[in-house]
Amino acid sequence: MSSRKLPPGFREEVLDSDTEEYFVNMGPQHPSTHGALRLALRLDGETIVEVVPHFGYIHRGIEKQAESMNYLQYIMLSDRQDYLTAIQNNWGICLAFEKGLGIGVPERGEFIRVMLAELGRIASHLVFYACFGGDLGGQTALLFGFKEREMIHDILDEVTGSRLTTNFFRPGGSVHDIPDTFIPRVTSFLEHLEKSMVDYERFLSKNIIVLERTKGIGILSKEDAIAYGCSGPVLRASGVSYDVRKNDPYGIYDQLDFDVPITYRGDTYDRYVVRIAEIHESIKILRQCIKLFPEGPYRSKEKPSIRLNPGSYYSATETAKGLYATYVVAASGDKPYRIHTRGPSFANLAALNNMARGHKISDLVSILSTIDPVIPEIDR
Amino acid sequence: MGIMNAVPGILDPIPGGKHLVNMLDYVTNWARANSLWPLTYGTSCCAIEMMSSSMARYDIARFGSEVFRASPRQADLFIIAGTITEKMAPALQMLWEQIPGPKYAIAMGACTISGGPFMYDNYSVIRGANTLIPVDVFIPGCPPRPEALFHGLLTLRDKILSETFRDPWKEGIVIDKPYPDRWSEATKAWEELEKIKDEEMAEARLKFKEEQPGYKSPYKALRVAKEVFPEIPHQPKPLIGLPANTIFSIIKKNFPSVSPFDNDPSEPALMARPSDMPLDVLVSKEEYVDLIQFLKEDPRTHLDYLIDVTAVDWIGHFDVITQLMSIEKGHKLFIRLSLPKDDSIPEENRATSLLAAMPSIYHLYPAAEWKEREVFDMFGIHFENHPDERRLFVDEDFKGYPLRKDFTHPHILKRPV
Repeated sequence: MSSRKLPPGFREEVLDSDTEEYFVNMGPQHPSTHGALRLALRLDGETIVEVVPHFGYIHRGIEKQAESMNYLQYIMLSDRQDYLTAIQNNWGICLAFEKGLGIGVPERGEFIRVMLAELGRIASHLVFYACFGGDLGGQTALLFGFKEREMIHDILDEVTGSRLTTNFFRPGGSVHDIPDTFIPRVTSFLEHLEKSMVDYERFLSKNIIVLERTKGIGILSKEDAIAYGCSGPVLRASGVSYDVRKNDPYGIYDQLDFDVPITYRGDTYDRYVVRIAEIHESIKILRQCIKLFPEGPYRSKEKPSIRLNPGSYYSATETAKGLYATYVVAASGDKPYRIHTRGPSFANLAALNNMARGHKISDLVSILSTIDPVIPEIDR
Repeated sequence: MGIMNAVPGILDPIPGGKHLVNMLDYVTNWARANSLWPLTYGTSCCAIEMMSSSMARYDIARFGSEVFRASPRQADLFIIAGTITEKMAPALQMLWEQIPGPKYAIAMGACTISGGPFMYDNYSVIRGANTLIPVDVFIPGCPPRPEALFHGLLTLRDKILSETFRDPWKEGIVIDKPYPDRWSEATKAWEELEKIKDEEMAEARLKFKEEQPGYKSPYKALRVAKEVFPEIPHQPKPLIGLPANTIFSIIKKNFPSVSPFDNDPSEPALMARPSDMPLDVLVSKEEYVDLIQFLKEDPRTHLDYLIDVTAVDWIGHFDVITQLMSIEKGHKLFIRLSLPKDDSIPEENRATSLLAAMPSIYHLYPAAEWKEREVFDMFGIHFENHPDERRLFVDEDFKGYPLRKDFTHPHILKRPV
């Protein structure tokens, strides 16, 4: 058996068991791989020996295309990387551009950004909740998660004019001001969400089937989480307290009072718990913003043309998935010389093999679901 | 429905048989049009809107399409939700072939119509799903709202309701013509129209000018007052972790040849560096791994987290930038390696060959594996001692390295200026 050539990507030594191992292909069209991801599995019976992800099924060449677009046009492409946290991606890109342009954002503009980003975070975590429930076979959670999410999309629709791909922030602020109805709508939504969160947690958090299928499954140790470059809830579930909003604050996050929820076991259940706790923290942030929301200009003075000073600029933001970093290299002209984005899902998925090894195939679905990857952001 | 297709031939000549065929058509179409079972297939943003439309708020079950099937063999509607890339195209065609007929396809979103936002200057996106499989209904939008998807479904329903056994369903044709340049066509047509208008109006305009030489339009353009915004300078956030000069002095003590990339190496210049831009140091190829190992293990710097490995093509040379961070302390450091391009490779092979080599840091950071693979895939830089150096995003047989500045690909369509 040792003479047999393994398919590309597989590296581990051959098992010294009596049974013959075999290979199964999962994806690129598979309801549980959250998009166009292909996983090659090496199995011993039903136990996973090795997982090798294959990417590129949605590789759209965004980084190459960015070189022939100007800076403002690129903001539109950032929406289409991680479409569940489009508004936070917009922010990350704009932060890097603002450094290159040397402009700042007025206070009201910062509040608009924080509020929309936190709404986006709740929406993304609700999609996680829905898909997590759905992947474990719980249709109730699938339907409920999307119910509250639609209310957020109504608000985003009213403010930005689009449900999903918002394209709302610009260097210096946002495209336009928020409507008067924004604050009352968010207030009433938060009241509604807090009530329904009780239901949400009742469905999954103490459900015996969920507990059996998630506790002790897919454990990622603290050292491995750091070594694989994981970020966001995946990192925090393993007991590392790193949140860009807290440890490397941008916007007005340093003026707001919120906690970074962490858990220590690093299993599938913990990753779920961290995300649910983050929804509560986002509600807390939004409540503070409503209380402090200032009057004034929503953006700073526009530049006649967006030309970054030559040099390289780096910005880091915390999206719902984790550390979203942008690296912009500017030369002369109104087009970027190179834009590179570090997507959190790409790094988080690197730990998949480590987590899934030794578990059953059905556990892989729940592990993948709690990594919460968005494939277009990996492939770009 | 092979046997059913023979029915009109038998029944139509019989008196009253036409009505029977019409009735059969009505019943079959009613059943087909009201229970389309879609295949669960989504690649990007549109898939989320497709999911939204099947949830409680929009409830696709009202149109009989709530039964999303994971297997193509049980489906009869293919909603192509999201961008299709060249790597995905064979899988898409295979899925279509696996669906039993009569089957229908809805192309959802701008990407499946023309490539949408990815139409120009792109080497990997297929411009239009109709070049791969026959599409019945196109839905524009980026992404289309759930209401638009329902409109597409109802349009398809109308199409199915007009089918008959006299002209049974057969698979449509694939339109694989190159995408027509509608923009130039429209511009040219518009210019011609303008020219005709000018010719026709020339006489009247002259006459009007002669009759009323001092004519001024009584209308005033109404404009919304331009908003005035304050000028606000960029204010960097307070420094996190070690300052740039301290990090540099630690490096300098052990690696004297290392120098800051875009900063003066003197102490005051390093202290004046904006706090939000991490220090960027230039290192030689020989010291690259040793320096990173030192910085990872030294308790003062403790750079234990790899943010990213990326590269920039500066025509003459590559810059590979390794971005490191300390989780515990929060400071970041960029390590830049300048790699000259290999001149020994003949001109005609340069585009498809590896032009530089550098050591891998996989043994220090497991996270580097895929990030270095990405740099290999996009720039054609070889990583020594890398465990698994394969193409990451593009196909194994893809020619060239996309993010090089001189990259050309037959698939690229230039944006008309």
